[in-house]
Amino acid sequence: MYFDLIVESLEFDFIRRALLVGILISLCCAFLGIFLVLRKLSMIGDGLAHVSFATVALALFLSASPLIVTIPLVVLASFAILALSEKAGLHGDAAIGLVSSFSIALGVLIASLARGFNVDLMSYLFGSILVISRAEVIISVVLSFLVLAVVIYYFNSLFVVTYDEDFARVLGLNTRVMNYLVAILTAVTISLGIRVVGTMLISSLIVFPTVTALQVSKGFKSSILIAVTVAVVSVILGVFSSYIFNLPTGATIVLFNGAFFLISFLVRRLRLV
Amino acid sequence: MKNQKIFMLVLFSILLVLLFTGCDQAAEEPVTEEGEKLLIITTLFPQYDFVKQIAGDKVIVTFLLPPGMEPHSFEPSPRDIADIQKADLFIYTGAYMEPWAERIIDAAEGKTLLIVDTSIGIDLMDEDDHHHHHHDEDEHHDEDEHHEHGGKDPHFWLDPLLAKIMVDHIVEGLIQVDPDHEGYYRENGETYKQQLQDLHDKIDSSLAGLENRTILYAGHFAFGYFAARYDLDHISPYEGFAPDAEPTPGNIAELIKRVNESNAKVIYYEELIEPKVAKVVAEQTGAEMVLLHGAHNVTTDELNSGITYIQIMEDNLAKLLEGLQ
Amino acid sequence: MTPLMTIEDLAVRYGKHQVLSGISFVINKGDYIGVAGPNGSGKTTLIKAMLGLLPVAEGQISFNNNAAHDPYIGYLPQKAIQSDGLFPATVREVVAMGLLAPKKGPRFYNASDQEKVGKVLKRLDIDDLSDHKIGSLSGGQQQRVLLARALAGSPSLLILDEPTSALDPQIRESFYELLGDLNRVDGVTILLVSHDMASIGKYTKKLLYLDRRVIFFGTYEEFCSSEEMSSYFGPLSQHQICWRHS
Repeated sequence: MYFDLIVESLEFDFIRRALLVGILISLCCAFLGIFLVLRKLSMIGDGLAHVSFATVALALFLSASPLIVTIPLVVLASFAILALSEKAGLHGDAAIGLVSSFSIALGVLIASLARGFNVDLMSYLFGSILVISRAEVIISVVLSFLVLAVVIYYFNSLFVVTYDEDFARVLGLNTRVMNYLVAILTAVTISLGIRVVGTMLISSLIVFPTVTALQVSKGFKSSILIAVTVAVVSVILGVFSSYIFNLPTGATIVLFNGAFFLISFLVRRLRLV
Repeated sequence: MKNQKIFMLVLFSILLVLLFTGCDQAAEEPVTEEGEKLLIITTLFPQYDFVKQIAGDKVIVTFLLPPGMEPHSFEPSPRDIADIQKADLFIYTGAYMEPWAERIIDAAEGKTLLIVDTSIGIDLMDEDDHHHHHHDEDEHHDEDEHHEHGGKDPHFWLDPLLAKIMVDHIVEGLIQVDPDHEGYYRENGETYKQQLQDLHDKIDSSLAGLENRTILYAGHFAFGYFAARYDLDHISPYEGFAPDAEPTPGNIAELIKRVNESNAKVIYYEELIEPKVAKVVAEQTGAEMVLLHGAHNVTTDELNSGITYIQIMEDNLAKLLEGLQ
Repeated sequence: MTPLMTIEDLAVRYGKHQVLSGISFVINKGDYIGVAGPNGSGKTTLIKAMLGLLPVAEGQISFNNNAAHDPYIGYLPQKAIQSDGLFPATVREVVAMGLLAPKKGPRFYNASDQEKVGKVLKRLDIDDLSDHKIGSLSGGQQQRVLLARALAGSPSLLILDEPTSALDPQIRESFYELLGDLNRVDGVTILLVSHDMASIGKYTKKLLYLDRRVIFFGTYEEFCSSEEMSSYFGPLSQHQICWRHS
């Protein structure tokens, strides 16, 4: 009976779009997530999401496309975070906190200039993957593929930089460039991802698959495989479940991510017992 | 060490200055000199229009919502509240549309501001009363956390007969602050109420013959009282009236199905909000997107063109006839 | 005696602080040099300069090979023990990192890379640990893995910075024996930095003693028979070093 509903849902354009964009973006999040979590930069997803709150507010205020305004500004913010960590002697978490809370305040200011939060801004808080327009689908697909291509191209280099930055430098890798590269990719992914689950939940798409994988992984490659699988399956299950049981899609996807984490955590505990 | 001391001194002085300027705020009394016009502030567009129809240019009237802004998330700024306190008359819709009005009422204690609640005497419908969602499974309507209206539908101005009650309240309010012109206000009030009655009769007879009586609406359905008055049904993917982030996929699919099943040519959407859901439905079904204006607020262009409540309603009627026939 | 790397008049500054000055010595192929000196003498700074991790204020570091590019230097960093047990890398994956240096563009691994990894794991006697997670290994085992990583790319020179400071004495011995083996049998040129004078004296063939400048560079025979060194160290200390080396 559920199967029939799933088949039925696939007839709808908006469901197919949600699946396509959701899967691609969750792939990006999973790939980047492993590098961010292992560098102890897990909160950067949250931080940059808060920045996107301000940029979306600004875009709506100027009647511009939120995606076009958000991407470059969030990239700049990620650079700011990196620069703060390098130059102002701040640790990653402090730098993120600075940029993040400043952005929220800015967003609130801008929203009040526009006389209050409106529906469109709220939709970016919680995600609105079901009403994504054709243009946004194309942009999301193109950018996702770009992000994935770059991550795969630099995969081994990123691995070394994540594991042992000093050694990476000895190998002749430009660690500074690598760091900024990860920053850009994360910024783009977050800008795309807030459409799927919103600013409140985007960091979970980045953190959960990786943390789930780390519970049971046997090596780096296996970690990535598990993370990616969890991410994609969560999106698929999330979209279909939200259709069948009439639930908000973004939150359902995140809940499935949480469920998978619980499962892998239990597997790890039971195995070691 | 010396630099530190200077810094502390400067900081402290700034603090002192701020403190003292803060204490300087005396409450402003609204001053209506002889011969100066009354200052009236309303919250939404309908009341603003009503006041203009009744009082003409005997008063200065404005409404709080900036043009083009969606009303359900509006919060008055400190400036707004100050302006209200300087006015002679403040007219709002009711506790469920403007939950923040209570603060204004409290703050106006002892001031010469008269506040008019246009919902008094109107039997408010529960939000769930007129909600019809046809789902395959059994669904019950939970209390949405997004409810800002505590479960009551505040959009009664869209029923012309209830609008007449609002006009009565406004007339009484005007008379109280400006008793000299009582006759003028009463006469205009009656004239306008007759116009509203005519509007009602027109709508009633036009819609009476319709077979298809279901409005397919891709937004928050504000026409509950309208639908109840004229015996119409509706399908909408949203529960409640607060600005929801996103409707569930089931609801969107439901809407699409109904459009297809009934071969509807038209999918209606609400004013001032990006009609994203309507677009999705329209793309999937080929139905045309048509605006059904809830009259909460208007755009700058509409305002400049001098649009009235009655014009909006007549326009809505035309669109309904077009789409449902 | 084929020279591999020549350091001439090297000076390194940390801001205004002169950490190293006038450092000159030559590393020949097959050398096994122990680098010693008191704390703050600039041993790690010298290593980092040789590896290109620090800018050189004066002097020159040159490689005497015929290849078009600088030779690959294998490096075992100080404090390299991966205490983060959560890091998901297998031994094989860690060792493979050492092969990334000469690669350009997308540094993907190929089949011959996997073979090289297998070979070095076997040579260091840890191939049974290939698929274990690095965090689950003991300190000594992890050091071997990192040594394998340093050796994987067949380096011309192997530099180790305090490789045994965190190891038990027993493990230490077997580690040094392994290093000696690599030097004698496989002909790996080794530069070993350590404050463990006893082990340096016992295992290495030449001594580079630093204290912001070169105090001594040469074989142990030269060291032990030098009157200058006797007066610098005092006969007792000198004897300690020499006695271990026999």
